[in-house]
Order: sequence, then C-alpha cells, then structure tokens
Amino acid sequence: MELPATPVTVHVPGVLRGDCDGASELSLEAPSVRTALEELERRYPALYRSVCDETGAVRRHVNLFVNTSHVRDREGLDTALVPGDVVWIIPAVSGG
Amino acid sequence: MSERVILCIGTRKGLFVAEAPKTRGRFSLRGPFGQGVAVYAALIDRRGAPRLYASSCNPFFGMKVLRSTDLGKTFKETKAAPAFPKDDGRALANIWSLEAGQDKKDLLCGVEPAALFRSADGGDSWEMVDGLSNHAHARKWQPGAGGLCLHTIRLDGDRVHVGISTGGHYLSEDGGRTFAASNTGVGAGFQPDPYPEFGQCVHKIAGHKDAPGRLYMQNHGGWANWSGPGGPRPDIGVLRSDDYGKTWRSIAKGLPSDFGFPIVVHPHSADTVYVMPLVPETRTCPGGAPAVWRSEDGGSSWTRLARGFPKRETFLTVQRDAMDVDELKSPALYFGTTTGQLWMGSDGGEDWSCLFDSLPPIHCVKVAVV
Repeated sequence: MELPATPVTVHVPGVLRGDCDGASELSLEAPSVRTALEELERRYPALYRSVCDETGAVRRHVNLFVNTSHVRDREGLDTALVPGDVVWIIPAVSGG
Repeated sequence: MSERVILCIGTRKGLFVAEAPKTRGRFSLRGPFGQGVAVYAALIDRRGAPRLYASSCNPFFGMKVLRSTDLGKTFKETKAAPAFPKDDGRALANIWSLEAGQDKKDLLCGVEPAALFRSADGGDSWEMVDGLSNHAHARKWQPGAGGLCLHTIRLDGDRVHVGISTGGHYLSEDGGRTFAASNTGVGAGFQPDPYPEFGQCVHKIAGHKDAPGRLYMQNHGGWANWSGPGGPRPDIGVLRSDDYGKTWRSIAKGLPSDFGFPIVVHPHSADTVYVMPLVPETRTCPGGAPAVWRSEDGGSSWTRLARGFPKRETFLTVQRDAMDVDELKSPALYFGTTTGQLWMGSDGGEDWSCLFDSLPPIHCVKVAVV
C-alpha cells in the first residue's frame, strides 16, 4: 500500500544556505525526521554533512525542531511528520 | 612579482595570513578566514602555482578544508572534507595535519581520531588510507590531552612517517600501503612498560630533506621524577634517529626540560635543530622566561636563544604545530603562543621580536617564501 504523501518544509539557517543553493526553505516529502534527513543527504550532501556526522548522528551543537518541539523531546529521528510540518535546523547557542 | 614571506597562522578563531617582503621589514595581516572557528592545520603548497590550505574545525557543522589560490586573500571551502566511511563507526573530530603528497595535486591529511586520508584532486575528494587508519593497533590508540590526533606526516619517496598522540611513530616503506610501529627507543612515562611497541605520546617529528635517514622527535617528556611502576624515565622527551626512524636515542642532555611540543630543523643544516622546552606540569616557559634552544651538532649540545624575549613574568605555551622556519639564506623562526603572540626569531633564532601580540590563541604556524 502506498503511504500518503507528507509534504513538509525544512528551514535552513543562514550559515548553511551555501550548501543548498542559497535556499532558506526546502520542500520535500518525508513521513519522519529521519527520512527528511535522508532526503537532504540525497539532494544536498554538503548540507546533510553539516547537520549529521559520518555515523548518521545529529551533530552535538545542532538542534532539530519539528514546529516548536525539539526532536529529543519527542521520538528523536523517528519523530513522525504530518503534512505541513516545519523542520527547523538551528545551531545551538554556545561559544567562548 | 618579487618573492614574499607568507605566514599562515591557525588560531582558535580562524585563519590569519601575514605577508612581508623578503626583508621581513613589516608584516601585514589579513583574516580571520573560515567562519571564526579553530584552525589546527595549514599548508602552503608550492608545487606549481601556490595554494594555501587550512583545516576549519567547526564545532557546529563539522570539519571543512579551506583553499586559497590567491595567496590567502580569499578562501573557499573545498568540495569535501575527509570523512570516515559510513559503516566505520568513527566520526571526524578535527584535522591536525595537511601535507603535500607525491603527485602535483596529492594531499595527505591527518585527523582525529587518528587516521590518514589522501586526496588526489587538491582537496575536493578524500579517501581513507586503510594501511594506517585500519591498522591492527588503531583501535588501541588512546587520546592524549589534545585528543587522539595524527599530527605529523613526513614523505620521503616511498617512506611515509606519521606521528600519533598517543600512538607513536609509524613507518610505511611502500608508499603508504602498509605501516608498522617504529618506536624502538621511544619512551613512554605514563604506563608500566617504559618502552612499549606503540602507544607513545609523540608530540612532533621533524627532519631535513637532504638527510632523510635523520629524524628528530619531540616526545612527551617530563618523567625524570616519576615514581610509578618501572621508575623514573629521564630524557625520553627529545630524540634522534639515524636509520629512518627504525631506532631512536635521546638527545635531551643539556636542555632545561625534555618536555615541549614543536621541533623544527634548520632549512640549510640537518645538524641544526630547535626546540622550546616547557615545564611539564604547567606547559609554560621555565621561570617565566621564554627561550628557544638550538643545537648545531645534531643534539649533542644545546644553546639558549632568548635575545628579545621578556626575561620574566612571561609564561608562554607553544603548541606542536605552532613553530616553523623560513628558507631564506639567513632563515627566521616563527612561533605562535596560546596567548596570541606571534614571534619571529631573525638570524636563525638569534634575535626575537613580537610581530603580533593580540591574536586569538594560536594552534599552528606555517611559513613559506613564494
């Protein structure tokens, strides 16, 4: 059975837009955060590599939100997406 | 265009490039390049049209490699940075070494966790060098305080020397296909066996292109008073090999401390070598009085070089890649400190002056005349 389409938007922070032809938002079909990242890896490998390391783990200083919820407070990369969701890629606040 | 001295200065906040005429009268500074993140490795590649490379250790978005084709006026990221294969299980934490390889566009890259990568296209794509990166010892190497880093790569025809902290010295004699630990005579002060097969905390290895069998090593010294199993291990910190790194012997006698990080060889004399002894506990200059020490007889005797440095209250630390020497007729040494000073020692280190005194903490310094 074919799964229903799940159109979502991925919001890209300014510092990473050079990795995706300058786009601030990317539209894609993804039923989960994991599949959204897999789609990013296919379409924009440099952007994916900035978000995830070689093991597939989200980098320590990168936060992923679905709408207003951090994915760590939901189901991590297995967090389900519904049509219209926005996945936000947001660098953590850290410095020194 | 007349020749210039180019300095690449890798700092905690990005890469700076300094440039001066051959007289070294005044250095101009540009930068920082690379998003203001830490730069631990740089390379001034003079094969053909000069290219500058630098690592850029972005704590947010991972490692990048920067490349400049206009002598450091602008930098762009290469198309890719080294990365472990997906099923390897390791993830790149830093780039510690960039070196020119055999062919015109070949690059070699040493990373953390310790592994070796090669690029055949000037840094746009990378492949892992299995013979070192998947060596039988690789999963037994341990990180030192700075991380498990492959920090030294030296090419000599089909010989490839690498230095790993803590892993020791590894030697390939087949162009990098296979590697063997080569640490006979290299001591370790932090484990019961004073001379293990591998696992030493090598800080840096240097040599001279005209004397490839001769190598110098700054090892992790400072164990003269150690009271653990096996007893004290004096003078294991500064070493020399005369057989392509197969065996090593101490040349530390005469130095105020056998602990330090960089070791540099004079461009016109394989017998002339420079170190910067530090107090092992604090990793700062003994007595708060900076000095570079030079041997002109291959390590048999040492001379203190301190003209121009403050004589007190100056507790500098110089990291393993933060000292280099140019190749002019009367060469100058350069070193950067973790407190952001860039010093130049004219006339082979006889006269020191501070070129820049308020840079971010400095990780690496590379110099070339182009």
